Amino acid sequence: MGDEPLLSVRDLRTYFRTDAGTIRAVDGVSFDVRRGETVCVVGESGSGKTVASESITRLIPMPPGEIVGGEVVFDGVDLLSLSDRELREYRGGRIGHVFQNPQGALHPMHTVGRQIVEAIRLHRDAGKREARERAIDLLDRVGIPDAAARFDDYPHEFSGGMKQRVVIAVALACDPDLLIADEPTTALDVTIQAQILRLLCDLQEEFGMSVLLITHDLGVVAEIADRVVVMYAGKVMERGTVYEVLENPSHPYTLALLDCLPGRGGAMRPLGGALPDPRDPPSGCRFHPRCPHAVDECGAGDQPAMGTAGSPGHEVSCVYYHDGYDESAIRERRAADSNEGVGRADGGDGR
Amino acid sequence: MTGRPDEPPAADRSGEPLLRVRGLKKHYPITEGVLRREVGRVRAVDGISFDVYPGETFGIVGESGCGKSTAATTLLRLEEPTDGEVLFDGADVSAASKAELKRFRRRAQMIFQDPTSSFDPRMSVGESVAEPLRIHGMRDRDRRRRIAQDLLERVGLSADDVDRYPHEFSGGQKQRIGLARALVLNPDLIVADEPVSALDVSIQAEILALMRRLQEEFDLAVVFISHNLSVVREVCDRVAVMYLGEIVEVGPTERLFADPQHPYTRALLSSIPTPDPRERGRGIELTGDVPSPSDPPSGCRFHTRCPEIVQPDGYEFEQVHWRRVMDLRAKLDRGEVGRESALDLAAAQSTATAGATDGARATGTPPDEARAAIRRAFDLPEALTDERAEAVLSEALGLVVDGDSDRAAALLAKEFSTPCERRRPRAAAVDDGWSATCHLLDGSRRSEGVEPLPGRED
Amino acid sequence: MATDAKPSDDASFERVDWDALESEFGGLSRRQTAFLGAMAAFALGVAADVAVGGPLPLLGDPAPLDWLFRLTLLLGTFYVVLPLYDDPRMTRHYWRQFKRNTAAVISLGYLAVVFAVGTVGPTFLPRPELDLLARRQPPVFTSVAADVPTTCAGEVVNGMCHGTWQYPLGTNAQGHDMLHLLVFGMEVSMQVGLIATAIIVVVGTAVGTSAALFGGLVDEVSMRFVDLLLTVPTFFLFILIVYLYGGSLFLMILVFGLLSWGGVARLVRSEALQRSEEEYIRAAENAGASKAWILRRHVIPNVSNTVITAATLTIPFLILAEAGLSFLGLGDPTTFSWGQTIADGRGELAGAWWISTVPGVFLFFTVLAFNFLGDALRDALDPRSEV
Repeated sequence: MGDEPLLSVRDLRTYFRTDAGTIRAVDGVSFDVRRGETVCVVGESGSGKTVASESITRLIPMPPGEIVGGEVVFDGVDLLSLSDRELREYRGGRIGHVFQNPQGALHPMHTVGRQIVEAIRLHRDAGKREARERAIDLLDRVGIPDAAARFDDYPHEFSGGMKQRVVIAVALACDPDLLIADEPTTALDVTIQAQILRLLCDLQEEFGMSVLLITHDLGVVAEIADRVVVMYAGKVMERGTVYEVLENPSHPYTLALLDCLPGRGGAMRPLGGALPDPRDPPSGCRFHPRCPHAVDECGAGDQPAMGTAGSPGHEVSCVYYHDGYDESAIRERRAADSNEGVGRADGGDGR
Repeated sequence: MTGRPDEPPAADRSGEPLLRVRGLKKHYPITEGVLRREVGRVRAVDGISFDVYPGETFGIVGESGCGKSTAATTLLRLEEPTDGEVLFDGADVSAASKAELKRFRRRAQMIFQDPTSSFDPRMSVGESVAEPLRIHGMRDRDRRRRIAQDLLERVGLSADDVDRYPHEFSGGQKQRIGLARALVLNPDLIVADEPVSALDVSIQAEILALMRRLQEEFDLAVVFISHNLSVVREVCDRVAVMYLGEIVEVGPTERLFADPQHPYTRALLSSIPTPDPRERGRGIELTGDVPSPSDPPSGCRFHTRCPEIVQPDGYEFEQVHWRRVMDLRAKLDRGEVGRESALDLAAAQSTATAGATDGARATGTPPDEARAAIRRAFDLPEALTDERAEAVLSEALGLVVDGDSDRAAALLAKEFSTPCERRRPRAAAVDDGWSATCHLLDGSRRSEGVEPLPGRED
Repeated sequence: MATDAKPSDDASFERVDWDALESEFGGLSRRQTAFLGAMAAFALGVAADVAVGGPLPLLGDPAPLDWLFRLTLLLGTFYVVLPLYDDPRMTRHYWRQFKRNTAAVISLGYLAVVFAVGTVGPTFLPRPELDLLARRQPPVFTSVAADVPTTCAGEVVNGMCHGTWQYPLGTNAQGHDMLHLLVFGMEVSMQVGLIATAIIVVVGTAVGTSAALFGGLVDEVSMRFVDLLLTVPTFFLFILIVYLYGGSLFLMILVFGLLSWGGVARLVRSEALQRSEEEYIRAAENAGASKAWILRRHVIPNVSNTVITAATLTIPFLILAEAGLSFLGLGDPTTFSWGQTIADGRGELAGAWWISTVPGVFLFFTVLAFNFLGDALRDALDPRSEV
């Protein structure tokens, strides 16, 4: 574990300049992706997780988007310092991208085979025949039955799950070292979701790549992640291994997120309030206006520095993990709340 | 929502059901040409039956394309049913006159999935909420406005919001407004079609809690349609699982979730990802996609994907291998496996293993290799454990490689025939108010030719 | 009855007595009453005009064209101005969106002046008369060789005739005051643009929305009719009519209005088809709304931005078409159309340059302004734009 991570994001800040003010979508986010591991960035919509993932290869629209600070080091190279042209070598080459909606990611008027072949030939000096063979091989490996025959089919001839497999095949076209998958299963049914997640796991092993998976679904995280980054309002709240974060959730936001999950026998507790205005985020911890455990210090200064919870790699951005506070207070209060049954039943998601 | 999971739902069923659906069908014709000749039909909903009692929450779950949304719009008669009855409070909605239908509309309301598209962008939310009042003849504009203000407050917004427009609200707030609009006519039944699917989990929980509160306050019956089993488990008293236009299992939510009887319910439940990393990889994986509802499989519609498909008489397979043999059979029937594709496969596999760029096809693939390639493609072992079954399979594969896929398909169909594809299973009662439609339960493996009964036993 | 209850009580939805409301008389809203009243008054006026056949008290002697223009203004008042007035919040919102586009705001101001002057001006100004003594007077602040005008109305200095304030924009070869011609031309342009567009919008929207909403046979028949309509060569048909009946602005407007709605109908249909997929239509249906209600309350308001944009872009086309036909001498000889004035001046460009130029400039800016307006409206009326 001591070796250099494949991708290292440090203090990344991506802002969007609009008429109504500057939206701080990503505001100082750091995380690492090591070789061969799967990291999940989890958060609600508006948490900045997608912008963070798209900032890595600068896929965000600029303007209005702007990466105002931080660094993204991929295999020793700071991607933010590269020119657009140099960066293009990485996009679709060493870094593959899978988007949420497979419908939009495929050109409706080209055959899927052609789209994979194009992806291959964009980054590799491959002959037509060679590229075609590789494309069929890829389709086969992502689990498209009868790949050779389906090479000449158009995207609309595939079902949603099959389309997502094709999109993954396109992303894998150049043997990427890192696959960024943004909500790859959100548009799919649970049974298909399970197939795609298993496929991602298998492919990761087969290709020996790293996967950065963006999701809002803690169930998906539990299914696939090695390590987890929990984001809220453009900041990282908690990070650690999947076991640390899901079995010993430590930030009040992670706890609240787990408490909102339905289907655990009536223990569901809504999280009141709404996401802060990204143009004018609260001072101190971004979560403190909604946090049931907030103390005075939470509202002051900047986002609290990372403290450790339990094991050394398990970091939490919360004052309770600083000296002078006792983090067990969080757990005790939460346990007391859940004894009251359905606590804050209907919080009102304000504005 | 009214009863806690541990209570038997039967306790809620005092007397008559509010809504009684019997054999409801909705088919969409597929037409061709200028004359719109019907060349087939999409059987979106194909004979479903269930009851909803006053004050209870009845869930309908299934994957996309299973017909659950069509079931909702058809039972509200937003679309004309092809066949079947919908009895609301004893009166047949599907045969209602215009005036009766309008009265029914007052008592049965709907909440929609997409909070953005369910409001007219050119109407203030006050107007949207009060529109049903206007439609049903309330002429007093000021009174409509007061009612809308009152309702907005009751769903957790402010009375000042009446003059604002939909785009000024977040998704969760819009769903609250949707609830207000559904309540404004003081209905007895609300059909909620994926009401929280478009929302973040933290907002979902709030909306579900609000729904539960309002349901208790106004004693509403709710038909809750969702693909999300966790949400259904959270809110529903009873649940029906739909697959390809049919209800495969219906029963009290907690018991059904704890001990699912139908293989499809089992697979569906096991594929819900739980936030427990130690449970990973435990799911039952379903192979393949949902078949098209325009050409549903014969017999039990789930037999093409069912991991527990009944084995043919006289053979003893490993269950997984039996499933894969059936997958092969289905492909053969559809003409997707033949000599050509087998040779292609063999060539591709030999390239992959030997690294040779020149396809083995040029030199000629030995038939053995092609047969083995098909086995590998379908994850079949080199030999099945049952010798007689193995003999049939090798013969069929031989026929495929010789280019006679039709005969291979016929051979497999004759030898490996399962009751799941021959006969429609009938609903078998598991317990009071709990039934599943599967050959493993109905005992009809011995008694042929029984038509399915309505989904629920009364 | 429910309305007798205390205000605090009747604000609650559970207390609505539906049976009482159901039996209540289905009256009309204030706006509907006003609209029906206005339409009745209009019909009465037309009937009186037809019956009397001569000048009427208060109304004078309006031509059929004037009646049509009044009807157009009436429709505009009830379907554009009043809704905006009724809903100041949304109006302010549209205005905020609209005023981002400076060119469009200037255009709107310019068109408002042209509209006001063109509508009101001709009733106060005398019709331009032949005045042989005042031919080819130059505009004020300019001068021409003294032999261009018949007799120079202003000073003649060094053999140059200077323009005077008597004829600020000069006169044409018949001695018509250019300013008066301009004002009368505005009336013609506004009538052509607005009346024909109103016909196009009303017919196109009605056909397009009903085709979308009712579908089936209605859709099939009306859209095939539109196909047919789009093959009719309006221009040649109009020339034929001119040869048969002589040039008439009334006929021109009718021909263009009644034969050009096909495009709008198609546009509206496809837009309405998209809209009718939306869940709010379902919601209204589920609340018990009739097809007519859905059409009026939901479909038409939501296709209105398409319609309004299409309309603002049709107006300049029609104005140009009228000017072009008049220029070719196919217009109405009894009107003072800009196209006609430009045509009259084309032989005199060397001497009296202003005769063609002045109406030409106004034509140019009017067409341009409508185009700017259309663009800005499309952006401003998009309901997705943020407040």
